[in-house]
Amino acid sequence: MSLQFDYQPFPDIDKPLREQLGQYPRVPDITLDVLRSLARWAVIGAMRAQYRIVRRGALPAGERVALLASHHSHLDTLTVLAALPEKRRRQIAALAARDYFFERLPRAIAASLFGMAVAFDRTRYTELRHWARVLEAQREGWLLVYPSGSRKRAEAHDAILFVLAHSGWTLVPVAIRGTAEAWPAGKRLWRPFRTLEVTFGEPLATDSTRRLSDELARFWATGGAADA
Amino acid sequence: MDAATLALDPLRFYTVVTAIGFGLMGLVIAGLRVAVAWTPYRTWLVMLPVVFAALWLGTLGWAALVTIVSIYAFKEFAKATGLYRETLFVLVVYAAIIAMNLFAYLPYYGFFMVAPLWAVAALTLIPILLNRTAGMLQAFALSVVGVVYFAWFLAHLTYLAHAPAGLGFVIYVVLATQFNDALAFLFGKKIGRHHWTVISPNKTVEGSLFALATSVVLAFLNWGIAFPQLPWWGVLAAGVIVGVGGQIGDLTMANVKRNVGIKDFGTLLPGHGGILDRVNSLMLVAPVFFHFMGYFFGAFPG
Repeated sequence: MSLQFDYQPFPDIDKPLREQLGQYPRVPDITLDVLRSLARWAVIGAMRAQYRIVRRGALPAGERVALLASHHSHLDTLTVLAALPEKRRRQIAALAARDYFFERLPRAIAASLFGMAVAFDRTRYTELRHWARVLEAQREGWLLVYPSGSRKRAEAHDAILFVLAHSGWTLVPVAIRGTAEAWPAGKRLWRPFRTLEVTFGEPLATDSTRRLSDELARFWATGGAADA
Repeated sequence: MDAATLALDPLRFYTVVTAIGFGLMGLVIAGLRVAVAWTPYRTWLVMLPVVFAALWLGTLGWAALVTIVSIYAFKEFAKATGLYRETLFVLVVYAAIIAMNLFAYLPYYGFFMVAPLWAVAALTLIPILLNRTAGMLQAFALSVVGVVYFAWFLAHLTYLAHAPAGLGFVIYVVLATQFNDALAFLFGKKIGRHHWTVISPNKTVEGSLFALATSVVLAFLNWGIAFPQLPWWGVLAAGVIVGVGGQIGDLTMANVKRNVGIKDFGTLLPGHGGILDRVNSLMLVAPVFFHFMGYFFGAFPG
């Protein structure tokens, strides 16, 4: 008689830490989860100490929710995190450019621990196919997506909107105000003691990418005034 | 600093010797243009200062480093075997690692020796608390390995520092084991012909014997500085413990890797693999060295 154990090594065992930090869905990791919680509490505390954060609109309920946010500043993610309840903050993953945030370990650690970031490779077209499969397979989760792909671009990329629209996830527009002045792109330091606004809109219709793109552009342009 | 001061203080001596030796090794690698050696060399360039910084901080710094390394090594083991999915088992082993290093640091010999018993007792409760049977025997068995190897065995490194000449023991055990590892690999690569185990097919009789002989020579070379209180047969035993124990520890974890089907336990140390790939040879050496010295020379308080 032989005793046979069934070993199932973790899929990320041969990946460097930098890649482990950026993977989605996140692989359970007690150490990283604890560090993420500590870092998140610290950064949210720091945000609330420095800024008045105003939340408008109702938070969506349920799972498989993608927040489609306008992007102006590195403070955007922290501002959205500060506007969410702790349960969602713990769960959310913010898509961040692999070529900017996950090329070097120190920046990957900061982005993953403080900003709940996961890596999105905006330089490869096959990345969208990968994400389409990942989103379809996920039964729960919240995502923070910047469909413009950059702080310096105002319009959403249709390709990512197409993938999101066909994923079956609830797409919620989010307009962020005040962060462009609080930490402008290209500046090394942020400016404290201002008001930052986060407006959550009603879920968007996903039957047409063109319509989705138009509605999102309108929401961002008005700062979500009509919805909120 | 004069030669007499160096001879009296193993930590100063080994810090200076290691820094010089390591610098020379860098020159040799650069001179011979052994490109493949640069990655592990650079990793050592980070690891050595961390190890020596902990030793300079004293027994508390050393205990902290051993605890962190043990936790991370166990994490790699748990991820490799899949045990990491069983959070409660993993947390009990983490707690055991912290507790045993604390008992070793204080030092409470009685608690230290009985702690594995309590840790295993705590593990037996988990299937009952979870009210589950599926996979519980495997998780329990792997966790017991965690308690014994990663908590108890490795915590002997913390306790070693409490001997009257403890720092010499610690530095000798750590450096000689790593040296033994590297020599077995290098000599086996160069002149090894006869492979002797399916557990680690690259191991050769020549490499293993050479590493054992070098460990014994190294023990005698370090006699005056690391353990001047030992008689010649004690020094011989120290060399044999490192030479044989290091290779058995290495093979034990190689066996785990073969069973699980992985090459390395991780990627944290470029050129080496994971932390566990680096400390596997210490796992058996630390407790055997500790209890040998304790039994024959009454070296440890508590």
